[in-house]
Amino acid sequence: MTSSHLLQLEHVNHTFDAGRIVALRDVNLDFGEGESVAILGASGSGKTTLILVMCGIRTPTSGVLRWRGEPISTLRQWTDLRRTEIGIVFQDFNLFSTLTAAENVEVAMFGSGASTAERKRRVEEALDTVGLARRATHLPQELSGGERQRVAIARSIINNPKLILADEPTGNLDSKNAAAILDLMFDLQRARGSTLIMVSHAPDQARRCARHVNMKDGQVVDQTFAPARRMRRLREPSRTRLSQSQAPARAIHPHHPRRGVCRRQLHHALRLVAQCA
Amino acid sequence: MAFAVGSFITLYGLSRSVHENVERSFDEHGTDLTVKRRGIAEPFGGTIPQEIIPEIKKIPGVEDVAGQLLTFAATDNDDNVLAVGWSPDSFYWTGAPLKAGRIPKPDETKVALVGSEIARTMGKTVGDDITLLGEKFKIVGLTDYHSIINRNQVIVKLEDLQELTFRTGAVTFLSIKLENPGDQAEADRVSQAVEALDKLTVSPSEGMLRNDSLFGLLTAVSSAMAWVALFMGVLMVLNTLLMAVLERTREIGILSALGWSKERIMLALVIEGFILSAVGSVVGILLGVAGSKFLSSIPSIGRYVAVEPTIPLIAITAIAAVVLGVLGSFYPAWVATRASPAEALERA
Ligand SMILES: Nc1ncnc2c1ncn2[C@@H]1O[C@H](COP(=O)(O)OP(=O)(O)O)[C@@H](O)[C@H]1O
Ligand SMILES: [Mg+2]
Repeated sequence: MTSSHLLQLEHVNHTFDAGRIVALRDVNLDFGEGESVAILGASGSGKTTLILVMCGIRTPTSGVLRWRGEPISTLRQWTDLRRTEIGIVFQDFNLFSTLTAAENVEVAMFGSGASTAERKRRVEEALDTVGLARRATHLPQELSGGERQRVAIARSIINNPKLILADEPTGNLDSKNAAAILDLMFDLQRARGSTLIMVSHAPDQARRCARHVNMKDGQVVDQTFAPARRMRRLREPSRTRLSQSQAPARAIHPHHPRRGVCRRQLHHALRLVAQCA
Repeated sequence: MAFAVGSFITLYGLSRSVHENVERSFDEHGTDLTVKRRGIAEPFGGTIPQEIIPEIKKIPGVEDVAGQLLTFAATDNDDNVLAVGWSPDSFYWTGAPLKAGRIPKPDETKVALVGSEIARTMGKTVGDDITLLGEKFKIVGLTDYHSIINRNQVIVKLEDLQELTFRTGAVTFLSIKLENPGDQAEADRVSQAVEALDKLTVSPSEGMLRNDSLFGLLTAVSSAMAWVALFMGVLMVLNTLLMAVLERTREIGILSALGWSKERIMLALVIEGFILSAVGSVVGILLGVAGSKFLSSIPSIGRYVAVEPTIPLIAITAIAAVVLGVLGSFYPAWVATRASPAEALERA
């Protein structure tokens, strides 16, 4: 069912504390384009480490990673991949607190060579896709947890990456928001044909993924592929569509947060560096 | 940041101005040498007996000598003004620029020439009375000096002021006019001759304050205050930035996850620091200029000094602030980038 090799891990090991803690032990995995994968396992089984290794944020102690068959050996190759081909969604959103929703999304586009107008258009489009068009000028602290994660998702897809990595993307959300975020992520994955690799320890969430990778003590203990029949049903667009009205315009914070001169300097600095370097 | 820059400019400007204004006020009287009692630190504390004036006049090279008595004197509404006493025959009178009225006649007593600024702030004009040390003086003229100190002084007859301050026969300073003002050798010879007469020190009127310990102290105190203000400001900024290491670490993790290399992240954070301190400096300069205007507008300060931040002062402060801001943002960024991106994200 994998059409072509996107990301491969060969004999990947990762240890902490000079080998005392083994987080990944001889992991061999092969992910194809368009796959949806759930990584399952108890806390401490190495899921987060695996995600970070798969995007080069952590360099494995040993082993080889290949992108479209080519081994990735330098940090430079990884940063280029993260800028263009790999989007990451974290459990705790990781937004810039001083930047608005739109600016947070735009930051991922700095250095992509897109013009200001082009960036603006695509940011609007992405925020619209995640149902946040009306929240574009809000700061993260003015948004609910679910809305924040949707900003992070918009940011992760803004450069049309081939691979989306998500580490417990709903871990900080209530069940209603969690369901909406999952719907959004699977819809996007199907619409764009990208690969989604998601860490989750909720079995009902994992059921929506075509492939399960079960981990224990840093090892992949087994992998299961959902039957094609069941997957076909899941491929139908989900019913809980995200819409503008789903998030009523309510004040999360009664007072207005700090705005003004001392807020956007990070945005300016990032844009300047992206344009010059 | 803005406040540090602002208070530095104001306070440092104040200290410079104290110095400059006092010097300028001496220059305006057009004298060459100033004689003071040796060893008295208070500027108006020492007294010189008037009898010495004829003796100094005899020294070759001296054209004229005059003495003045200075004191801070209580006036109307519990205010204090600088009161100056000139003897009727002194050359000071001829050099006094008049805006209105006339110079007192030789035989008049309890009359005053009032500085233009005092006249304005106290609402006085020729013909009005002004109280000095509990006595009423009739204002016969308004002076038109440039220096802020002279514009805020009240000039009266020497005998009147001596009587009111129980300093009969005494003056605070002597001013000497030389026959050849440009001749340095002659000036030195006259100075030595005067100093040989009694316990006196002679200094060129221009640089007089350079050797004055009290004004030196005043300048030192106010410039020390200025440095303390700047130092505190810098400490506060550094503290904020160091506290921001944690936030920085998180931001670096995010940028790294978005595919930014460490070098670019560092550059961006330093540029951010530059933007922040540049904005802070501009706001600080505005605050400083406003603060100086405010200080000058307080009567008890504005009467003696016009606080004027100079362009070099503003420029140096702004450059220093920006350099410190960039260094200050470099350090936490550097600390933060030493953590690996993974650690940065996990600590978030
Ligand atoms: N930065 C680190 N330093 C030391 N040990 C770590 C670090 N990160 C993770 N570990 C250890 O590695 C193992 C795997 O952790 P992790 O990948 O976070 O698991 P999971 O995400 O499945 O909970 C655990 O034993 C954990 O304690
Ligand atoms: Mg984890």
